[in-house]
Amino acid sequence: MLSLIFTLIKFLTIISAGIIAGFIGSLTGLGGGTILVPLLTLFYGVPVIFATGASLVSTIATSDGSASAYTREKIANVNLSISLEIATTAGAIVGSLVAIYIYAHSLSWIIYIVFGIVLLFSLIPTIRKIAFETPKFVPPDWTTKFFKLSGSYYDERLKKRIDYHGVRWYLGEVIMFFAGFFSGLLGIGSGALKVLGMDWALNLPMKVTTTTSNFMIGITAATSSSIYWYAGFIQPFIAASTAIGVLIGAYFGAKVLIKVTNKDIRWIFFSLLMFLGLDMIFTGFNKINIYIVNVDFQFFLAVGISIVLIFLLYVLMKKGYLGVEEK
Amino acid sequence: MRDFDDTMVVSHFLRAGAVLSLLFIAAGVILLFVRNGGDGYTLSQITSYSYSQAHSIDSKNMPLSMILPGIFDLDGIYFIALGLWLLIFTSVSVVVVRLVWFSQQKDIKFVIMTLIVLFNLFFAMIVVPSII
Repeated sequence: MLSLIFTLIKFLTIISAGIIAGFIGSLTGLGGGTILVPLLTLFYGVPVIFATGASLVSTIATSDGSASAYTREKIANVNLSISLEIATTAGAIVGSLVAIYIYAHSLSWIIYIVFGIVLLFSLIPTIRKIAFETPKFVPPDWTTKFFKLSGSYYDERLKKRIDYHGVRWYLGEVIMFFAGFFSGLLGIGSGALKVLGMDWALNLPMKVTTTTSNFMIGITAATSSSIYWYAGFIQPFIAASTAIGVLIGAYFGAKVLIKVTNKDIRWIFFSLLMFLGLDMIFTGFNKINIYIVNVDFQFFLAVGISIVLIFLLYVLMKKGYLGVEEK
Repeated sequence: MRDFDDTMVVSHFLRAGAVLSLLFIAAGVILLFVRNGGDGYTLSQITSYSYSQAHSIDSKNMPLSMILPGIFDLDGIYFIALGLWLLIFTSVSVVVVRLVWFSQQKDIKFVIMTLIVLFNLFFAMIVVPSII
């Protein structure tokens, strides 16, 4: 009986990790997986191989759940997502195969370090997303017509219909391959990379990039999930509990997001994400016996650096040095 | 932009798939607790984090052919397995739905692109498992 209660508590703690990850993921727009993997590995002692497997599964769940809301709003561009999914699914296959190689050769430290770096870089488009700027006008090129990259959506805030068109499809395709690659390698949705690709290469409005990216995440993650399944990266209990938790968290995160008028609150979460990214990198180096700092001190160093960096970023953004205007 | 009904089809597909799979997953977890384990493992073995313990119960040791008998056996592990595969197939089914649209519209370019995406998906599901 006592052991059953302990197991139940264990189950509830993983669910709560999922809820935290889903909540922060939906508030910041990064998605649950990016927070779930560091939480499970750094604080719960879950092997990274199962953390990434569980994360991938919850990524599909959240993508399917929220994509239905987004398509209802008809902002996501279905034509665009199909042509880009060619690259993301191909990248996901390569990424998953590399992950299998890495685990088979006990090189999991690479996963930690790459994860940390990707997490830190994911913060760039996420922070930029606060400013919902419309892209500078770039004339349509041959890919705009060929791949039907134009569309329109109704902007609630501006109260008007926005027409847009994408350019440089080939460049977007290259970035999408890498987005898929990291999704397969790290078990995340890599929505931030997809957004970055569509924003920077295809020159699309932020609203379209975020919704379309969410749409694509499910199919990308489904590709790598099936490989993860056969490779044995999915532990049913951990995956089940996190999938339930992340969905609950994402649901409440979306509810809260509408109510939060002060976007500055999100900076607390950005610093938390930065801490997780740094801690992942330090842990990765520890695994190959490279101690940047004493293990006991590592936590405080990661906290310290992230607070200073986020404070700097915040000040720079407020003063307009990052080239984006906060709305 | 697609017309309204098409978008709604995708919307319903995704929502229904996500809900259905979550129901199976939740049922699986409840069954694990009620029956104190599943697939020949005790609950404490299944809920263990340690790699050596958890390794024997990972997805590699849960063949798809066992899902149906496992469901009839009320085995929690296979309820979870079915739920997870439903999630994967929800995403795949959306691509199939789009393939039907594009072929109805005789949009050859997009039919080919959708077929490539489907090829990648099935490559990951059928070809890759046989080489790893």
